[in-house]
Amino acid sequence: MLKKEQKEESIGKKFSALIAKKSTIKFWYGIVITFFIVLVIVPTLFVLTYAVTGWDDMGENIFTAPEPITPDNYHQIDIGNSTIGASFPAPDIIDVTNSTHWGLNVHTNSNIYINYTIYSLDDDNASHTHYYSNSSFSGAGIGWINISANESYNEITHIGPMFQNLTLAYADGTYIDSWESDVFLRAGDAKPFDMVIDALKVSFIIAIIVTIIDFIAGLPMAWLLVRKDFRGKKYIDTLIDMPLAVPTAALGFSTALFWAVTPGVDAFGSLNLTSSPFLLIILLHIVFSYPYMVRSLSAILHEIDTNYEVAAQTLGAPPLTVARTITLPLFRAGLVTGIILCFARSLSETGGTMMALAMLTPHMAELAYPMQTGPSLIGGWKHAGGFDPQLAFTAMLLVIITLILLVIIKIIIMKFKMPLRKVFPGPERLLSKGVFPKLKDASSMIFMFFILIIPSFFIFSFVFTSEATPVDWSPFWSAMGFSFLVAGVVTILNLIFGVPLAIYIVRGKNKIMSHILDVLVNVPLIVPTSALGISLGMFWGSMNLGWTTLLVISAHLAFTFPLVVRNVAGALEELDPTYEETARTLGARPFFVFRKVMFPSIKFSILAGAIMAFTRSLGETGATLSVAEEANTVPVYIVGLVRAGSEYYYSAALACIALIAISFLTMMIMKYIARRAE
Amino acid sequence: MPNIKITGLNKIFGDLKAIDDLDFEVRDGEYLTILGPTGAGKTTLLRLISGLTEQTSGTIEIDGKNVDDLPPEERRVAFLSQSYSLFPHMDVWENTTFGPTARGWNPDKVNIIGREMLEMVHLYDRRDALPRELSGGMQQRNALARALSADAKVLLLDEPLRALDARLRLDLRHELKRLAKAMNMTTIHVTHDQEEALTISDRIIMLKDGKIIQSGTPQEMFNKPANPFIHHFIGEANFIEGTLIRKENGHCRITDKANRSFRASQTDLSEGANVVAGIKTEFTILSKEKESDVNSFHGTVDRKLFMGRFTDFEVILAEGGMIHARLPSSIAHKFDEGSNVFVHYSPERLLVFPEPEGGLKAELEMM
Repeated sequence: MLKKEQKEESIGKKFSALIAKKSTIKFWYGIVITFFIVLVIVPTLFVLTYAVTGWDDMGENIFTAPEPITPDNYHQIDIGNSTIGASFPAPDIIDVTNSTHWGLNVHTNSNIYINYTIYSLDDDNASHTHYYSNSSFSGAGIGWINISANESYNEITHIGPMFQNLTLAYADGTYIDSWESDVFLRAGDAKPFDMVIDALKVSFIIAIIVTIIDFIAGLPMAWLLVRKDFRGKKYIDTLIDMPLAVPTAALGFSTALFWAVTPGVDAFGSLNLTSSPFLLIILLHIVFSYPYMVRSLSAILHEIDTNYEVAAQTLGAPPLTVARTITLPLFRAGLVTGIILCFARSLSETGGTMMALAMLTPHMAELAYPMQTGPSLIGGWKHAGGFDPQLAFTAMLLVIITLILLVIIKIIIMKFKMPLRKVFPGPERLLSKGVFPKLKDASSMIFMFFILIIPSFFIFSFVFTSEATPVDWSPFWSAMGFSFLVAGVVTILNLIFGVPLAIYIVRGKNKIMSHILDVLVNVPLIVPTSALGISLGMFWGSMNLGWTTLLVISAHLAFTFPLVVRNVAGALEELDPTYEETARTLGARPFFVFRKVMFPSIKFSILAGAIMAFTRSLGETGATLSVAEEANTVPVYIVGLVRAGSEYYYSAALACIALIAISFLTMMIMKYIARRAE
Repeated sequence: MPNIKITGLNKIFGDLKAIDDLDFEVRDGEYLTILGPTGAGKTTLLRLISGLTEQTSGTIEIDGKNVDDLPPEERRVAFLSQSYSLFPHMDVWENTTFGPTARGWNPDKVNIIGREMLEMVHLYDRRDALPRELSGGMQQRNALARALSADAKVLLLDEPLRALDARLRLDLRHELKRLAKAMNMTTIHVTHDQEEALTISDRIIMLKDGKIIQSGTPQEMFNKPANPFIHHFIGEANFIEGTLIRKENGHCRITDKANRSFRASQTDLSEGANVVAGIKTEFTILSKEKESDVNSFHGTVDRKLFMGRFTDFEVILAEGGMIHARLPSSIAHKFDEGSNVFVHYSPERLLVFPEPEGGLKAELEMM
């Protein structure tokens, strides 16, 4: 018995000696780094190869206008013995480029009511509505809708109608069916290149505006949270992070409902302030980027010794001068993190943006939206299908411009000398006293509640005040199952490979390699997820694997991986390496050191990374859509519902709330498990 | 048989030679101190011996066995860092038994060792406390107990007393040596505090710019420093730059640039050589009256710095130049600021060195 034990012990010792060997550890790190390069970095940047391989493709599909299709002047829809809810074949593409007269041939035996809209693009890519009218038919028989090209229409026929939207309804208004056709690119002269450039322009302008607003509004809030003590501070601190727990698709729905004029739907308390997509998208992006800015700024503010501020104040500087000349210059690093995070998030966001755009213009195909961002354009093309060169091109441009711009931002902030030295004693003293600081604090609070919290959770008002419609839960649950599968697998893989990579980055002996990996890890974080999805689709598609689930998992892995690595690496940087070194000299093998010394100190960061990765995967739309349109995760399912029309909003809203609840619940359970395990 | 043998050891960080071709041995059970100014390479040397840093070249042998390829945990060398690195989430007991547990010893043995060590450092009653609940001295003792129980043969101490307040530091010095000797550990203790090194060591190695510049017993280091730098580093010294005029029986004669003549201790240098002569400030004697014709100079007390047991004097000499003198405070009242005094150097305490390359000033710079 004793002998056996000894033998087992010696085997155990041999094993642990084997896994502690330098060569074994090197081999392990080799696997982790290879995993990271092959499964994360290469697929993420694979789209860049398109600049070489797709050169001819681009010339054909991007820089030249598409050929017009053969005119089909009359199109017949047979809705003979229709009943409510029956489905109809979608009408084919209707091209009017070379015709002055076209129409629909409606064959019906009931009273019906038809809505039709024709849009076209002008040279500035603004969309024009040429017809929007209702025709009603009564009784059985054949009806015609004849549309003649009018003058204003003729003027812009070289661009052509980009979209027709057709809705059929019964005379009492009961909806029958609607069609969208994706004739956008195929009729007329619009060059995909122009569309891409326009969408990217919109994306970057929005990202810049959002980042600036985040900074202006986030700085006083960060200040308030770090430097001031007041009752309820704890709750404010938690509230700030709430929007992060809400999937962006739900945020898009909620925010649009709160701020914008959303045809066909309303809720108690909705402000109906705007129908400008530009304004709405900015308001939406602030909601989910603002927490990142506040968090980044307050993290660094925590680190800054208040002694500097005290010293400056005792030397006679009013608080505002102190903040501006002493504290602000000290937190450039936090500023860079905050700006990059907000900028990248705004640039990257797909689900919420598509939701908001869909709600402004219901029953309209994505590609017909009067405004597109880069990711929503990718989403639209992907949805329409058959736009591979255009998708690759857009994704490539997004990746390149993002990377360049982020380097520039970093350089500007680090090198640029802010005109901070100059002091304005009069005005600054005045602004530091009396009502002004209170005004500043109050406006931070008002901003948080009105811009952040209420729009985030406005969806509840909609659900409670609008009329309930029957909801089919089975597709929701199957989508939820799929989402959980993806998020779970992704989180586990992240932990297995992300933690060792973080250790290598912070503690690795090879400093150059560590530094390169450190920079590379950030890449998937800043590359817009929809571009990332296209890139991944191209990479794995080129291997012809064809497994949607694996494709979606690898896409989610790429953009969640940095979250785990960054969290763990950040905690490790704080951890004094002498703990581990002392443990080693005391006779502990590396794995024992990790388990007993390192892990207890970083476990909360690991948990935080895991929660972030899990919820981010659960809420992601853009990457899922762009890698495989048929992949049915919950956010994709919700976006689909909203696209289908306002009559599905109630289902969509309920699904959003279920998703929010499940996200929260998952977080709570994970935190609880962590606390129990301690 | 030496316990540690270091041969041709080099460590280069980029352009910096942190350890420059070291050769030395540490005997079994010896308490060796590595003394040197900041940046001398002391900590790097400990890290090389413990295996936390890999050398650029050279070999390290422990107990006659080459350990160059062994990871830290197999060298049986316990390293105690400046900050003690007590694991913050473990209590005193868990910290102390970390080494034996990590080596997978059976629980009974672990318990015996843990108890023995904690009793030795008088912490057994506090075994459930977390490190942050302990005072600085207790933390130090806990870290020591942890290092001693790790089944190591060599104890590496990196400025172990640095973080403690002055009084505690004095007490723990002796405690440290007592424990190391009781366990028959070979100890390498790194410090930049010359007083600590003098009190505690069997032997001192003086390190500067990664090189050994002298090694010997504390007495040898103090009385027979190898160069002006050590002379100044171990106890402060006054220096005279001049020329060796004549060698006499048992001493020699030096003339400085102001043409003052000094009698100094014996030297091997030849007549006519440029030399530097130095005397520790403790041996620089002040008196009211001229007591001797040899090495006696007139001056004025410029400043008096009370330092507790001692008082430091800055005296400006009549022929020019300023010297320092350290007197017991009990006699310091005799010399007021501004008063006239005579400065006297005893010839056998005035040590002669060849003029350093690059001059005296560069030689005395700490970095």
